[in-house]
Amino acid sequence: MAISSKRITINLLLIAAVASIPIIEKFVPLGLHISDPMTDVFVYAILGLGLNILTGFTGLLNLGVAAFAAIGAYVFAISTCEIYPFQLGFWSALGLTMAAGALAGFALGAPTLRVRGDYLAIVTLGFGEIVKDVLVNMDSITKGTQGINPLPPPTLFGHELGGSGQYWLFMVFALVVAIGARSLERSRIGRGWISIREDELASRAMGIRPDHAKMLAFATCASLAALAGALTASRLSSSGEPGNYDFQISILALCIVIVGGIGSVRGVLLGALVMVGMNSIVLVKLTELMGGSDAAPPAALADAHGLQWAFLFVKTWAQNVLISPTNWKFLVFGLALVLMMIFRPEGILPARGAKEDAPDGDEGSSGASGVGGVPGGGASPVATKELRP
Amino acid sequence: MQQTVAAAEFLAACALSRVDAVSGFARDGLLSSQEVFTQQLVTGLSNGMIIALIAIGYTMVYGIIELINFAHGDLCMLGAYFALTVVGALGVDQWAGTGGMMGLVLVLVGTAAFCGSLNWSINRLAYRPLRKASKLSLLVSAIGASFILVNLGLFWGGLPMDVFANGTSSAAPKAFPALVSADPAAQIGDVIYSRTDLLVLCVTLPLMVALTYLVRFTKLGKAMRAVAQNPTGASLMGIDVERVIGASFFIGGSLGGFATVVYSLYNQTVSFQMGYRMGMDAFIAAVLGGIGNLPGAVLGGILIGVIRSMSDGYLEARWTNTVVFGILILILVFRPSGLLGAKLREKV
Amino acid sequence: MTMATILEVRDVTMRFGGLVANERVSMSVHGGEIFAVIGPNGAGKTTLFNAITGIYEATEGQILFDGKEIRREWSRKTSFRAIGIGLATAVVAVLAYNATDLWQGAIVEKYVYAQPFPWGEAMATLVTTMRAAGFWSTWGIAVLGFILGRLGYGAIWHSQRRTPDLVSRAGIARTFQNIRLFAEMNLVENVLVGMDQHCTCGYWACLLRTPRFWREQAAMRIRAYEFLKFVELADAAGSLASSLPYGHQRRLEIARALATEPKLILLDEPAAGMNPAESADLMRLIRRIRDRGVTVVLIEHDMKVVMGISDRIVVLQHGKKIAEGTPEEIRTNPVCIAAYLGTEVVH
Repeated sequence: MAISSKRITINLLLIAAVASIPIIEKFVPLGLHISDPMTDVFVYAILGLGLNILTGFTGLLNLGVAAFAAIGAYVFAISTCEIYPFQLGFWSALGLTMAAGALAGFALGAPTLRVRGDYLAIVTLGFGEIVKDVLVNMDSITKGTQGINPLPPPTLFGHELGGSGQYWLFMVFALVVAIGARSLERSRIGRGWISIREDELASRAMGIRPDHAKMLAFATCASLAALAGALTASRLSSSGEPGNYDFQISILALCIVIVGGIGSVRGVLLGALVMVGMNSIVLVKLTELMGGSDAAPPAALADAHGLQWAFLFVKTWAQNVLISPTNWKFLVFGLALVLMMIFRPEGILPARGAKEDAPDGDEGSSGASGVGGVPGGGASPVATKELRP
Repeated sequence: MQQTVAAAEFLAACALSRVDAVSGFARDGLLSSQEVFTQQLVTGLSNGMIIALIAIGYTMVYGIIELINFAHGDLCMLGAYFALTVVGALGVDQWAGTGGMMGLVLVLVGTAAFCGSLNWSINRLAYRPLRKASKLSLLVSAIGASFILVNLGLFWGGLPMDVFANGTSSAAPKAFPALVSADPAAQIGDVIYSRTDLLVLCVTLPLMVALTYLVRFTKLGKAMRAVAQNPTGASLMGIDVERVIGASFFIGGSLGGFATVVYSLYNQTVSFQMGYRMGMDAFIAAVLGGIGNLPGAVLGGILIGVIRSMSDGYLEARWTNTVVFGILILILVFRPSGLLGAKLREKV
Repeated sequence: MTMATILEVRDVTMRFGGLVANERVSMSVHGGEIFAVIGPNGAGKTTLFNAITGIYEATEGQILFDGKEIRREWSRKTSFRAIGIGLATAVVAVLAYNATDLWQGAIVEKYVYAQPFPWGEAMATLVTTMRAAGFWSTWGIAVLGFILGRLGYGAIWHSQRRTPDLVSRAGIARTFQNIRLFAEMNLVENVLVGMDQHCTCGYWACLLRTPRFWREQAAMRIRAYEFLKFVELADAAGSLASSLPYGHQRRLEIARALATEPKLILLDEPAAGMNPAESADLMRLIRRIRDRGVTVVLIEHDMKVVMGISDRIVVLQHGKKIAEGTPEEIRTNPVCIAAYLGTEVVH
């Protein structure tokens, strides 16, 4: 288990660089404002790491993580908001939220243990819809579509944290979660999960209890997603409306995992950076560039003829469509999923076959393992190798 | 546990039957409770037939390549935009009498052809390269395709045409012009059978009969059944598997095209998000009937249509989606092979 | 080396719909022997293995290991758990069904903005609200919830009575006909998965990396390395399972199965696809496994291997046992020769 000191140095440098962004922004006013979207990146990284445990390690495709995030946000909101009598502090509410998330994970996991891979995906999707509907419909408790606010901001030792403070706090959260995910991956718990992903029957025959392992994965995933939801709620000082936690968010989380490298902790961190960066920086800038001007009056179309009409038609259409970055979001997510599946199913930073795990004094053999990579046949690591009857 | 709660709630609500909803109906419309029931049943059956037609598209694809074609609902959504564009460009809604009928047929056939070809192309671009990959990669790719289609719908809605309300907001729902007269086709007691109900029947039934004929008695149908059972074996017997898969995508897509036109006429509104709802209903129907099983899809579709409309009428409309998804989860957990599907066994 | 019966298969019949894969098959394996199951393709050998390891449930008949059936019993603990889950479902169902009213009465009406909350009063209101809610929306729902939870637990328990993991933990390990390794794990990890049932560290120990975790991890790695050495794969310990040549993959599967520290190991066609030199190695390996004190049952088509190492042989055909005996007896048994119809050259 010799993690080379070079790796550690690189990791520390990266962390230091990311941590210094708010300071740089303060002293070098470039007007980029990336520390705000970066805070989103940390939250989505936590969500992605949670999903990675269930989908990446255990191979259970979950299309409803947003529901767990919603449960987290609402539990946090109800337990802290001053319009309710509970009014817990930030940290105790976070603890409660994660516990509630884990319970929700058990509640979804237990009945669905024996549901097959692609069906499970649909069950989780249905769960997401049900949670959303219940949150809207139980409006006397959840305030329906208004969302619950105001919520207290994150605190540390009694101090309320501002923009940079939140940035660092969330960064630490993401780091701790990443390290935790890594620790689990490199332990018997993670090996159990991965063996289920690789071949559930064989792992059962080796004495692994898939039910236990899957429930743990569900609970871990759900409580991390709940944490992500609670952190966002605290940052925005509102739980947001239930509609915010829809299928799109679940798919964004899935994109993060798949683009970064399914089953790879570093990959997920990079995936969060790429996808959220795309979503809240690149698309916004693109829209500013392209759709700034006013839409042409439709009347101009009626008077125009021939080529001029065609030009006006296209121009009006482009202005209608390109006006908002949300109009692009689906295309970006969709292309990310399809292209990654076809050309690079293992992601940008694939999970390596745990090379350095060779026993002591056997460093020589790890060179040979480079040949392995992802096994041929185009089989994606998502596979719970389903058997055709 | 959540499911259990939902199920318990559903059963209890049925048992205690929230009487106010029913009596409310009776007060407003002066209908007897018998007539309320019949009216809900008619609506449910009509919607159910449409859902069934879409569900066939899911079930055909699943039967052949074991893929939940997530993009199918959104394909139908694009079909609705296509139909709307054709109606707007040709001014079909202004055609009167026999012309109107011809226009409707034109729109139906055109949309079916459009959806069929689009589905075929999606298969070609997004699924075919993944033939050897795992089922979950294929599903992820299908989800991706679905998102791309949603975005295409969003772009399409921005066209500066009159039918899209001049494209003022590409995301806004668009009204679908009434191509069928709103006069009731028949009225028995106080129960109204609208012309759209009649249209649903006239479109869906012949298509289902035709599909049954195609699958049972034609060479292509035989090839499809062979590929569904064993693709390798079929290809060894000289069947062009890719062509058969392409054909079933085309057929499933064009049935969706027919369905989406009828659906839009029935609900009179089109939005880029309608695909998700339509797709989920149809998928649930396919699973309920036993995915991969054609009569099952029809049965499931009708059941889901009726359950939805009964839940709207007797429970509360806001709980309908929860009820339908609850049913989906219960089926998948307790009887994943559906009502008519055969039980499958893992081979070791 | 004991000669007591370790595995006894009694009149086992396996039916899949109309297809009978095994019909009243009986055999008993003695501790410390090498026992072979042979027969033409489709004779039901692998099905029998699957029935023994809990992948299938035998339609009829019994499978005894060390004189006992491997099966979860309905104990007092199970009863408590079932009732507990039923009660929990009932409580959750009642709370969820009446959530709006309860919330309204106990929280909304009692809480005055920014003033201390009267918790006692709120609790009392909970009770009165429930009393007022009427029989059906409290007790009716509770009973319904209890039944659902209890039945759900019962159904899951019932389907879990005899599962491969239970069989493996009881001491029967196996390999698969179509090799089923964990392709994206390296060799050590594959073996570690086999050893998992003997690990004692739980979730939190693994997450927090306690000293106990490190100690156990170090010990387990050394042990895993020993298993790899035993099958002569220690040199490749760090490479991915999928990168191994075919014959080595079979040996790794054996190492993984041995890592569960079984009393009995079932090998499903271990020599399939091996050249003569490799199968000679394999025969030595199987003998060494037996010498460790592990009883071996194998399915094999390679008659050289079967006749070379088996103490006793059972012959299956069309799902039925047609002969049993020592290699010498089987070689000369006319029924067996007829069954194979000369398709296999008997050396």
